[in-house]
Amino acid sequence: MELIEQFQQAIVNGDADRGADLAEAMVTEAEVTPDEIMDSLARAMEVVGGRYETGEYFIPEMLRSADAVERSLAILEPYLFKRRHDQAGVVVMGTVKGDIHNIGKNIIISALRASGYEVHDLGVNVSTSKFINKVKEVDADLLLLSAFTTSTKPALVDVIKALEAEGLREKVKVVSGGASHSAELAGEVGVDGFASDVKSTLAVCRRLMDQRRE
Amino acid sequence: MAVLAGETPDMVPIVPVLDGYFAPKVLGRASDECWLNGGCLADCLAAALERFGYDGAVAEMGLGPQPSVLGCPVEVEGNDVPLVVENIIGGREDLDRLELHDPWAGGKMEPVKRLIGSVGARAVVLGTVRSPFEYAATVRGLIEFMTDFYRDSEFVRDLIEACKPATLAVGRALAQAGVDALVIKDSFASSSMISPAHYEEFAYPAEAEAIGELKTEVPVILHICRNSMPILPRMARTGAAVLEIDAPVDLAAAMEAVEGRVVIKGNIDAVAVIEKGSRESVEQAVLSAIAAARGRGPFILSTGDSIPISAPEDNVAALVEFGRRHGKYQGAEPWS
Repeated sequence: MELIEQFQQAIVNGDADRGADLAEAMVTEAEVTPDEIMDSLARAMEVVGGRYETGEYFIPEMLRSADAVERSLAILEPYLFKRRHDQAGVVVMGTVKGDIHNIGKNIIISALRASGYEVHDLGVNVSTSKFINKVKEVDADLLLLSAFTTSTKPALVDVIKALEAEGLREKVKVVSGGASHSAELAGEVGVDGFASDVKSTLAVCRRLMDQRRE
Repeated sequence: MAVLAGETPDMVPIVPVLDGYFAPKVLGRASDECWLNGGCLADCLAAALERFGYDGAVAEMGLGPQPSVLGCPVEVEGNDVPLVVENIIGGREDLDRLELHDPWAGGKMEPVKRLIGSVGARAVVLGTVRSPFEYAATVRGLIEFMTDFYRDSEFVRDLIEACKPATLAVGRALAQAGVDALVIKDSFASSSMISPAHYEEFAYPAEAEAIGELKTEVPVILHICRNSMPILPRMARTGAAVLEIDAPVDLAAAMEAVEGRVVIKGNIDAVAVIEKGSRESVEQAVLSAIAAARGRGPFILSTGDSIPISAPEDNVAALVEFGRRHGKYQGAEPWS
């Protein structure tokens, strides 16, 4: 099996030690390009997400893989992202005020980092002002608002209004996400996209970044 | 209480999970006001039972049974749910930070006694406590806790063991205060979150032990959110008198899985049906639940989980109205 395939398998299996060893080998010994590594990480997290959907994996197994991604990226990042424009985009993400769900958010963050995004994680129960300040500070391309329950709709609306008031709405694309999200809710809130799992989040982020570059 | 005693009641009992999340709405109060002032919460819960006329109320201790009982700071603001603001267990070295606070201290049992005084003569009153597994997840932080499953399983077991006294202390205090039954919440043990193998390894032992001890005081209801179907036969062996199941579980299959050995309580969808549905969809859900339970064992009609504060009061009223209309026993044939 190719080194890159072994690496992908280690991430899927959540073997952080092996993933880190293989990451080291890839950047020092093998001729594996940054693009190949990023593709491999993204594919691995898609496999992990798929296994969760089919009931083969549960939350601890997803977290185990997310942990392996983080460990590998600590080694790979200097090699992968030499300059800011190498990155897929700059993301600010957090779970909105009144919501403490963080598992989905953390899995998504690992998948985004694995796909080359620079992600700033604000945690859970994040106030509107904290989102706004971070978007300004890092000049974010994307703002991802995690909200598990539909009762957090007012908090989502509040963030959108604040972005408008600060003149930031045209500068940053906003994505809301969570298990209970729908196109209807996204339309009511006024975000640019919504997602309910790893795969759809990566797809919507890619689409919105493409729009920004046009 | 008849169904808890193994008797066949005249009607299907109706005990929705109408707790501190929804009750403040009934008297137009804010959630934080009620969570911080247990007397307000007791009054709202009593008013809800009075208004809708179901058969059992869920007693709340304000923030009493929250992880604050283990020294974990909890805050609540506006209509938000109470939130843990610091996970006090950063690692094994912090285990001695778990300090069990007396559940009776600071008048925390007063709201429970107040609710029992208001409605206890005409309705069952349930007390709620978290399982050792759920306390452990909350004081550690869910992400870290579940990452520990593969990183340090021994620590996970030790942490759960260290949290068990909180479950027992709160449960015993509620029983002494006079609740008719206890609801042990083990939400994170759900098969929507962890595998049945991890449930068996980590959640089940302390859950069964706590239920074994507390059922000597009052009957115990075991609540596990979302999908509990794969672990239902095991849950039925914990000693719990009632299993509270959530909407994703097939009710008929669940009742067949436990073979009438325990009461099944459930499982109207609190969000899709009660929060977002119409009067018609509530009636359809009630009819479906009653049809699924018919002839398959003892049953309590309920929501599968807490009714959100944003649910319309009309849908809660409809749940009770249609439960009464369609949930009548007729001799040997359970329900019309």
